[in-house]
Amino acid sequence: MPMQIAPVCAAIDIGSNTIRVVVARCRPMDLDILATDEALVRISESVNTNGKISAEKRDQTIAILQKFKALAEEYSADPILAVATEAIRRASNKDEFLSSIRAKTGLVVHTIAGDAEAMLTFYGATCELAHESCVPARVAIMDLGGGSMELVLAKHLRVTWHTSLAIGSGWIHDRYLLSDPPTSEDVAAAQSFLQTYFHGLRIKRFPPLLIATGGSANSLLVLTQRAFGLSPERKMLTRDDLIRCEGLLYAFPTHDIAQRYQLESKRVRILRAGVLIICALLDRFRLHELHISPQGIREGILLAYARFGEHWLHIDQQSIRSTKPAAVDTPETFAQAGQRIIWERAQKMRTWHREVLKNEDIEVVHKMRVASRRLRVALDAYTSICDRKALKKVYRSVKKTANVLGETRDTDVMIANLQAHLAYMPEAEAQAGISWLQDRFSIYRQQQQKRLESHLQNFDEGRVKQQLADCFAEERRWDGKS
Amino acid sequence: MAKAKQIPHFDIHAPNDNNARIIIKTRLDEMYSWDACVDSSDRVQDLHNLRIAAKRLRYTLEMFETILPEENALLRKEVERIQEELGALHDSDVIIALLQLSLSRQDSMSCVEDAQSTTSQGLPKARITFDPALLSCMLDPAVAPSAQERQGLNLLLTCLRREREEQYTAFHDHWYQLKEQDFRGQVVDTLEK
Repeated sequence: MPMQIAPVCAAIDIGSNTIRVVVARCRPMDLDILATDEALVRISESVNTNGKISAEKRDQTIAILQKFKALAEEYSADPILAVATEAIRRASNKDEFLSSIRAKTGLVVHTIAGDAEAMLTFYGATCELAHESCVPARVAIMDLGGGSMELVLAKHLRVTWHTSLAIGSGWIHDRYLLSDPPTSEDVAAAQSFLQTYFHGLRIKRFPPLLIATGGSANSLLVLTQRAFGLSPERKMLTRDDLIRCEGLLYAFPTHDIAQRYQLESKRVRILRAGVLIICALLDRFRLHELHISPQGIREGILLAYARFGEHWLHIDQQSIRSTKPAAVDTPETFAQAGQRIIWERAQKMRTWHREVLKNEDIEVVHKMRVASRRLRVALDAYTSICDRKALKKVYRSVKKTANVLGETRDTDVMIANLQAHLAYMPEAEAQAGISWLQDRFSIYRQQQQKRLESHLQNFDEGRVKQQLADCFAEERRWDGKS
Repeated sequence: MAKAKQIPHFDIHAPNDNNARIIIKTRLDEMYSWDACVDSSDRVQDLHNLRIAAKRLRYTLEMFETILPEENALLRKEVERIQEELGALHDSDVIIALLQLSLSRQDSMSCVEDAQSTTSQGLPKARITFDPALLSCMLDPAVAPSAQERQGLNLLLTCLRREREEQYTAFHDHWYQLKEQDFRGQVVDTLEK
């Protein structure tokens, strides 16, 4: 079978506040991001004022889309998928706006419903999570946009419930927080509204892990890093971090904050609303922190396209329309489940790669070996959905890694076993003999570590990903979804 | 190592649940295909193959846990225990074979090639293959054990053989305990729920 290169696609999201683009090489469970860009236009500003997208906002949008399209074309992205959300959904001149875009840029923009927005966001925001080694069984995803907020609950990374709430940072700003800085009365009114609004959300057990995506959450993370020295490695905000942000955002005029922390003025204004919404949600569900994901709806669109081909939007809307909790969980076919499980397990194995190279903890060798076994069990189970030649290559590669890991791990076990015998064989001869054997094993273990490091350093992750993608290429053609 | 049995003729567009049950049943049968070796403590390679088959069954049950009834978790624990018991047995077999080699062939490096595929003393049907690099470390005449160290290694060997017997007995008893409970039938029953 000829080697297939994962296609480069682009996704554009015309949000109520921000327009963003991402260009990536796409596989069903994985993206290699090649380029991103964003521009704050605040289309919702004019929709909130007179129900229409103004000519000024339309022209700004078209100019930005032309720029984004050029960026996508630089990478030969095909297709360029585009969606529009809440502000466009509500605009009375939506059709005229979308026709102008099509005429001036050639882009077909799909106005998606809130539920589809929630699902696509979930796909994107959990993409990285699927590679983590310790993920709680239940998680919540929040996408705080300018015009709406999508909330998704999931168990074992499968959606159990989702909703789209018609409140966003732009909407709260335009309604309550127009002074600069807003007065304490403005803030109290917004907080009171949010408290009442979220009180109406009836969720029996809110998951312990909340992941936020969207412009406001990510900008608050940036503000916390710049203003309070939060480590760039930390992708989480505590309740205290948010209170400090709130204090800062409401103490100074927009211009001062924007200048001091290198943020756009428009962004600072809506961040004030964003921080109130997030704090209200944390209060409602008694959470103390939220995790921030830089990925969201755009990455979700690309993953959905990689999984479902031309039906990326249709499939999502189908599964959502029949929704509410159970129907989102429509039974997976054998082929779909196989692809998902194999990708997840391959990613899991990959997460231990760097840890093993650090050579700090012998247990990580064991963990990576177990991950390789789990992957092989999945490959054995789902052989029939894979292209045989491509599968052989993947299998060989995984087995080779597993063998190197196995030899290293077995030596660790023998050394530990001897250590235990040292403790309960006090005779001088036994101690001398066991120490001799331990020395032999330790020398061999050092050689093994070098061999393991050399193997892992030469391990071509991209090639294995490609081989995995090749495994499923045939199956996707049968489905007519590629 | 015995390869996993391939399962042809799946309808790949059928719900995952249906095919998952067929896969589990295949892995269960694979494990029981080694049943005949359970009574022979010296069939080291076969017991190792049984261990691998148990491991495959365990990870397959784990992979499909969300579509199986809750009692699957208890059944999986039993498979995990069998796998661990056989794992301990295999670890002992490996270290015993290495010790036997060290004690019997320390005098010459030429034995390294011979030792790469060896039939160990005291374990007539045990064929354990070693990495040549490990054998070089173990059998290097330049670092041959002293008389006192050899004596200690012999003590260790005796101790390890005794432990191996205990490990085998523990596994054997457990296997028969599961047989009495009709463990295989219990797994099949959960697949039909």
